[in-house]
Amino acid sequence: MTSVDLQELTAMALEEIARADSLERLDGVRLRYLGRRDGLVTLAGQRLRELSPEQRAVYGQEFNRATGELRLALEARQRELAVGEEALREDAEWVDMSHPFREPEVGHPHPVAGLIREIEDIFAFLGYQSVAGPELEDDQHNFQLLNMPPEHPARDAHDTFYLRPPAGGWLYRTHTSPVQMRAMLGSRPPLRIIVPGKVARRDNPDPTHTPVFHQVEGLCVDRGVTLGDLKGTLEYVIRALFGRDRRVRLRASYFPYTEPSLEADVACAVCQGAGCRTCLQKGWIEILGSGMVHPEVLRNGGVDPEIHSGFAFGMGPDRIAVLRYGLADLRDLYENDLRLLECF
Amino acid sequence: MRVSHEWLGEMVDLEGVEPAKVADLLTLSGTEVEKVTAFGEGLEQVVVGEVVGLRRVEGSDHLFLAHVATPGQEPREVICGADNLFVGALVPWARPGTRLPIGAEIGRKRLRGIWSEGMLCAPDELGLGSDHDGVLILSPADAEGGMPLDRVYPADHLYELEVLSNRADCLSHWGVARELSALLSRPLRDPETSRPPRSSSAPSVQVAVDSSADCPIYLAELLTGFGDTPAPAIVRRRLAAIGQRSRGGIVDLANYVMFEIGQPLHTFDLDRLPTPESELAVGVRRGRRGESITCLDGITRELDPETLVITVGDAPQAVAGLIGGEASAVGPGTSQVLLEAANFNWARLRSTSRRLRLRTEASGRFERQLSPHLARRGADRFIHLAVRHLGATLGPGAVGGVPLAAAAAIRCDPARISSILGMELSPAEVAGPLRRLQFEVREGRGEILATPSPYRTDVTTAVDLAEEVGRILGYRKVPGTLPPNRQAPPLEALAEPVARLASATCRAAGFSEALTLSLVSGEREGLAPRLIGNLAHLELDNPLSAQLGSLRQGLLQGLLQSAHHNQARGQDQVRLFEQGAAFWGRGPERPEEPWMLALLDLEDDEAVAAAARLRRLMALIASLSSVGGGGVVEFRPVTWLGLHRARAAEVWAGAERRGIVGEVARPGADAFDVRGRVEVAELRLDGWLKPGGRPGHAPPLPRTPALVLDLSVTVPSGALLGPALQAVEALGLPELELVTPIDEYVGDQLGPGVKGWTLRLRLRRPERTLTTAEGDKARQAVLRALELEVGATAR
Ligand SMILES: [Zn+2]
Repeated sequence: MTSVDLQELTAMALEEIARADSLERLDGVRLRYLGRRDGLVTLAGQRLRELSPEQRAVYGQEFNRATGELRLALEARQRELAVGEEALREDAEWVDMSHPFREPEVGHPHPVAGLIREIEDIFAFLGYQSVAGPELEDDQHNFQLLNMPPEHPARDAHDTFYLRPPAGGWLYRTHTSPVQMRAMLGSRPPLRIIVPGKVARRDNPDPTHTPVFHQVEGLCVDRGVTLGDLKGTLEYVIRALFGRDRRVRLRASYFPYTEPSLEADVACAVCQGAGCRTCLQKGWIEILGSGMVHPEVLRNGGVDPEIHSGFAFGMGPDRIAVLRYGLADLRDLYENDLRLLECF
Repeated sequence: MRVSHEWLGEMVDLEGVEPAKVADLLTLSGTEVEKVTAFGEGLEQVVVGEVVGLRRVEGSDHLFLAHVATPGQEPREVICGADNLFVGALVPWARPGTRLPIGAEIGRKRLRGIWSEGMLCAPDELGLGSDHDGVLILSPADAEGGMPLDRVYPADHLYELEVLSNRADCLSHWGVARELSALLSRPLRDPETSRPPRSSSAPSVQVAVDSSADCPIYLAELLTGFGDTPAPAIVRRRLAAIGQRSRGGIVDLANYVMFEIGQPLHTFDLDRLPTPESELAVGVRRGRRGESITCLDGITRELDPETLVITVGDAPQAVAGLIGGEASAVGPGTSQVLLEAANFNWARLRSTSRRLRLRTEASGRFERQLSPHLARRGADRFIHLAVRHLGATLGPGAVGGVPLAAAAAIRCDPARISSILGMELSPAEVAGPLRRLQFEVREGRGEILATPSPYRTDVTTAVDLAEEVGRILGYRKVPGTLPPNRQAPPLEALAEPVARLASATCRAAGFSEALTLSLVSGEREGLAPRLIGNLAHLELDNPLSAQLGSLRQGLLQGLLQSAHHNQARGQDQVRLFEQGAAFWGRGPERPEEPWMLALLDLEDDEAVAAAARLRRLMALIASLSSVGGGGVVEFRPVTWLGLHRARAAEVWAGAERRGIVGEVARPGADAFDVRGRVEVAELRLDGWLKPGGRPGHAPPLPRTPALVLDLSVTVPSGALLGPALQAVEALGLPELELVTPIDEYVGDQLGPGVKGWTLRLRLRRPERTLTTAEGDKARQAVLRALELEVGATAR
């Protein structure tokens, strides 16, 4: 055998490598040419012993080059075939990756519960702790300690559900403010709390009323708390809830348990203040009631108004949800229609 | 309450102040303007015409042909449908070419063969209120033929006010003008109240007030010499503008004074009272049982000792502050009156008004603590107008009650006001707004002494003064700041609340968050499974309806209703949860308010698939307890009212029952009209899960490999996994890390009455690799435990 034979053999092998169309066939080619015992090229290599030292050097070089070239070709072809075969196997395991998923696996938050958590987070940022209080109250905490003795005209706005005997001494709280009293009576200033929870008023259900709804109460009592602090807090919170550019205004009002009393309005998003059905032609939408805690109420809570002052506010997350999400009917919030819940 | 811009303008200069500006000022200072409407705008094209001839249109039963004239012009024919016309009537006439304020353009119209020259207008067609009963008939005292109608009804704007419940002083034009005077810094012009000297005609009058707590002041004035003169045009026009009908000179004037000054007045026809020759004895006392009075509205009302009445010669003539008696009512032909200007206790009036289910303009004012100082002003204003415009003569008068205390001065440090409002104000800046509100202010060393206007019963303390200063200056001017924060919030505030943790866990498991009302029908809730067993509902004393008559004892009724709602709208899979308080009460003591979590998983599927959903729900409960720091959960099979008898368990953790879980029994699902199978749970979270959740700790993590072995056994078909695995755990094998049931098999190969379990054991020793022999030994131990506990045999 000569170098020329070796070259022919190599060319044949390369051609067969290129033709092999499966890993199995390729392995056959490898064995035929480079098989450890009887591969054709391997056998050709054994001729080295028969050659003179000079010839041996030349032929040896040829041989090494040929086997190297074949090995590289085998590897390359093997990679090519492997990729193709894996592709076929994967194709057989085809999944329709265009499948649209309209109903994700996780559940959805209720818009009001979600809003309450959002309000809690905003206030947590300002250092307020979220606390709870009982939903059934006595007249004392719901009214009297809040400066609303029996027959007080302000009670008109609090159409109250009373319990029947033997539980006749209890009522369903008409606001979350009694928790203010409980908080003041239960600890010393400084105090920064918010109180989310259910309240009830005797209103027949209609698009703007449900007999049970939610409120978030807030209370801050410390030395030197001012109405300016109330204003700054409310403006921050309202902007956090309604957007940086939403206009806010504070309006003088009256509540028996605050003095001075204020109500906050936001500009109507529907008409931008021009007046429309949503805002009853006012251009503004009432969002919360607030004020400086009345000195008498502080005293009722065991706080000395000569040393401490404070502000309080109450807002309705149900109403805020209606405004923020464009809900047409407040009652929808309590039907738990998944078509609605899945939008949050 | 409705007030007129034009009327206000008489008491405070509104020159150059647009109605929108007035509305804004009032609203921001506390008197909310709900609506501003134009009144009598665009009337300059309408003329006053005189009806000089009138007849029916032939062939019509409701149309009239009026001949209408203006001075110096030929009468024209106008067809009209109203039946209140008469010859000589002065009427608003919109001639062809006139554009009415409501937008309609009037033309010449042919009706029944007659050309109608325009139309005669009703008040609503002119933008003068909503009255459409007939053509507006103008008084010859106000109008004359040919005059443009805007001279009779000058353009005005009306404000619809929502007056705060502590501001009785704002229930009048004078009161609102006081506000505007302060807000605009323009002087206040008080209505003229000068009165003539009394003529001493008989009878004289005396007033006896039983209790000055019921009635601090009662002024009685006799006025004589009334003819049938109507109130002056301006009075009638202003009353019409604010929606009050004209009811004769005397009543109109009394009404006018109420809306102007704010003091309710009552007039009795002196000739219809039981009048003695010498002295009229007026009394203010409580009613007596058995007494009754027929009121102005024709209704006879029973009196009682809680009701305050006005008597003459001890006979009830009026329910004090609420409504007069029919017998002594002023009407056509009244020539002399007894005028009442009084003040009555607000709380008493409120309860009387509620008991009689009657609210009047007068009672609405008294109920809000109207100032007693207004009585004198109101009486004087009426006398002034009656003498001047109705030709009345002032006779004797009398006062009952107690001398009124002057408003007390409030001592106040201007620095205190600055610190309440959070803005630096000099003493002068504090005094200014108060003076503009007609308060008397004296400035001293480091303090001011402010005496509120006698009409402001709501201002009594320094904080009240701060509010007055703030709202008159405008809260817009207060700089917004945040309160000082010198102390860190309590550490408990940092722990994630249980409610949040539970909500997040349930949502992650595919359940959506629901909220339902806490009010339920107790009867209906009895059909839903509940954690609380047999307990009577807490009921409302004054429910809106039976459907909302009881306080809920659990949350599943609400979720079942929501499930029905969703299914009825085409949802085939409903997974919901709700958290909230339930209400458990037994006696007069404070009812318990457990914090509950309920879960519901509904699908219209078969028993096997539903069982898989039930197991997922149970797995969720176990996870919830785990992440919420509630410990290991144990499910104990149980029979439970409302749940499937073979698919119900109590949820136990930490030696206490925390809830129930199972499939709703068919009758319950039917009762809520739900198709398919409903897997539910109701859990009480308070006292179980912990704020902040599981504290967490790091276990040792041995690097030796685990030996995993499967063990298949045959057990009686009633065998329970819970106790079986507990028995395995109780072995306390140190190398047994975990036992997981991986298969339950029921089939023919095993034979009847038995089933197969396959358990996977994970074994490990931290110090070395376990041998196969050790593995077998452990497996044998587990098998023996299962044999003893549930009669298992190896398979
Ligand atoms: Zn709007």
